[in-house]
Amino acid sequence: MSAGQFDLSQLNPDASFRGASSGEPLPAHASPTYYDRPLLKKPHWEWEVVTYLFMGGVMGGSGMLVAIADEDGDDWELARSARYLSFGLAAACPAILIKHLGRPERFLHMLRIVKFKSVMSMGVWGLVLFSLPASAAAAAQAAEDGLLPGMFRHVAPRMLVKPLQGLLGAFIAGYTGVLISATAIPAWAIGKRFIPAFSVCSGVAGACAANAAVLALTDGSERTFARLERFELAASLAELALLLGFERHAGELGKPMYAGARGAKLRTWTMGLGIAVPAILNLIPVHARWKTLLASALTLAGGYVLRETLIEAGKASADDPKAAARQPL
Amino acid sequence: MASGFFTDTTLCIGCKACEVACKQWNQLPADGYEFSGNSYDNTLALGGTTWRHVAFIEQTVPPDQPPTNNKWLMMSDVCKHCTYAGCMEACPTGAIVRNEFDDVYIQPDVCNGCGYCVPSCPFGVVDLIAHADYTVGRHFESDGRTHDDATQTTGGVAGKCTLCYDRQKVGFTPACAKACPTESIQFGDVDELRARAKKRVEQLEARGVHSYLYGVDSDSSVGDLNAFFLLTDRPGAYNLPERPVLPSTHQPAGYSSAALAAAALAVLGVVIFRHG
Repeated sequence: MSAGQFDLSQLNPDASFRGASSGEPLPAHASPTYYDRPLLKKPHWEWEVVTYLFMGGVMGGSGMLVAIADEDGDDWELARSARYLSFGLAAACPAILIKHLGRPERFLHMLRIVKFKSVMSMGVWGLVLFSLPASAAAAAQAAEDGLLPGMFRHVAPRMLVKPLQGLLGAFIAGYTGVLISATAIPAWAIGKRFIPAFSVCSGVAGACAANAAVLALTDGSERTFARLERFELAASLAELALLLGFERHAGELGKPMYAGARGAKLRTWTMGLGIAVPAILNLIPVHARWKTLLASALTLAGGYVLRETLIEAGKASADDPKAAARQPL
Repeated sequence: MASGFFTDTTLCIGCKACEVACKQWNQLPADGYEFSGNSYDNTLALGGTTWRHVAFIEQTVPPDQPPTNNKWLMMSDVCKHCTYAGCMEACPTGAIVRNEFDDVYIQPDVCNGCGYCVPSCPFGVVDLIAHADYTVGRHFESDGRTHDDATQTTGGVAGKCTLCYDRQKVGFTPACAKACPTESIQFGDVDELRARAKKRVEQLEARGVHSYLYGVDSDSSVGDLNAFFLLTDRPGAYNLPERPVLPSTHQPAGYSSAALAAAALAVLGVVIFRHG
């Protein structure tokens, strides 16, 4: 239909704007565009935000590992590495956010208010709260390891700190996905049931990988390695299933993420080298340092590429006025 | 009292006086001299320092049709000042507030430039003020206040129409409405404007012109718009969403799927680490 043939008498205005929450699909041909100019604005997020999303996943997953690991049994080295890693990343996250914002005072603006409606406000408070048990647990661990005076052993009552670190860690691994999908960007909004879930899975897999790498470079029981490998396998296979499910669910709206060069990169680096190859490596019943380090590096790289692809796909999706005209409910 | 705009696109003549008045009053930098080739529109979109934008839609006639069928739609776009504003809900600092005139206002000294409001606006209105719009070594001033220009290197704070908050404070009409020579842009009490707009739709109908109000009595999750429009073509033709969705409506599904995944993995982890 060319513009000149548009018959005004057939215009049914109510069918367009008022179809807003009825959920009925609007006919695609009915919506003209404005010189194909973007309807939405692109997010301005660059590598800082990608890195934060990635680090938040590994940090949150490490928090969960602290809560889960059998620290009185075989996993005491894992509990130690997960505590240090949680703490290190909890210190690094605000730094990268400050880099993104431009200067330190701007981060403090986030702490003016607690706002339940804003996922970003919830996330920042989640990060601040997480850093409390993470710091306490790391201090107690450092005292245990003789790096801090013995009095610090008592700063982290286990019954309180462990569950807190696990719960807040799970929140941080997941909220980043909610933050992304609770926007007007079609490729993100359509993923509201997938993006948060695979963010958690990817975070847990990344935490298993990062901690396994630390243990491979230091020391860890064979049993711990076997457990980490199994947990990573489960989390990354769930991630793969969710990624494939999201592609099916998103259809046309998912193209910015799954089609073209971006899709090829996601398939190669996240689904292939980041999930499938480490899964095969983890299934090989050989305990070797090189194997753990290789699998870990690939898993972590895949997790980074996943976040990068998500952000870049959002930018491309914002540029598509046809998708933006009929925003997913 | 809620104040807002009624933009009647059938009265717009495309003079762009609104754009100029807005830039002048709010001391916003120029958009540059880019030629778009998209009819008379070289502004192209609203932005961090472009708070009114006149869209030009030329609907030409095929040669075998009488030229009277030719249509030229013009529409002055602006921030919609939604009842349920996506930008305001997303803002983590509380910089975006609803002021005493019921309009959505960004406090530039509170905004920290996180950029979350940008993808959270279903109309693509709000944007970060680009680095290029700051004069190097000087502060960017608008609305009588100095913007935080901390991020000379990384980008600025968010900007969008203030509905001339400062002018309203002293009882003045916003600059764009004041400058509009055809009263295509009408400013006033939103209830009054809606009543007037409904009458206008009837009046046009009687003359054989089909029109409708965009952002009035809508069942969209963004609610009614304090700045609404009278349109004669589909919203998409004006680069307006046919179905704007409030982003926060995605939160329940998002949080619950994250919680479900985390709970499932936690159970699995306990099984693997404690019984494996």
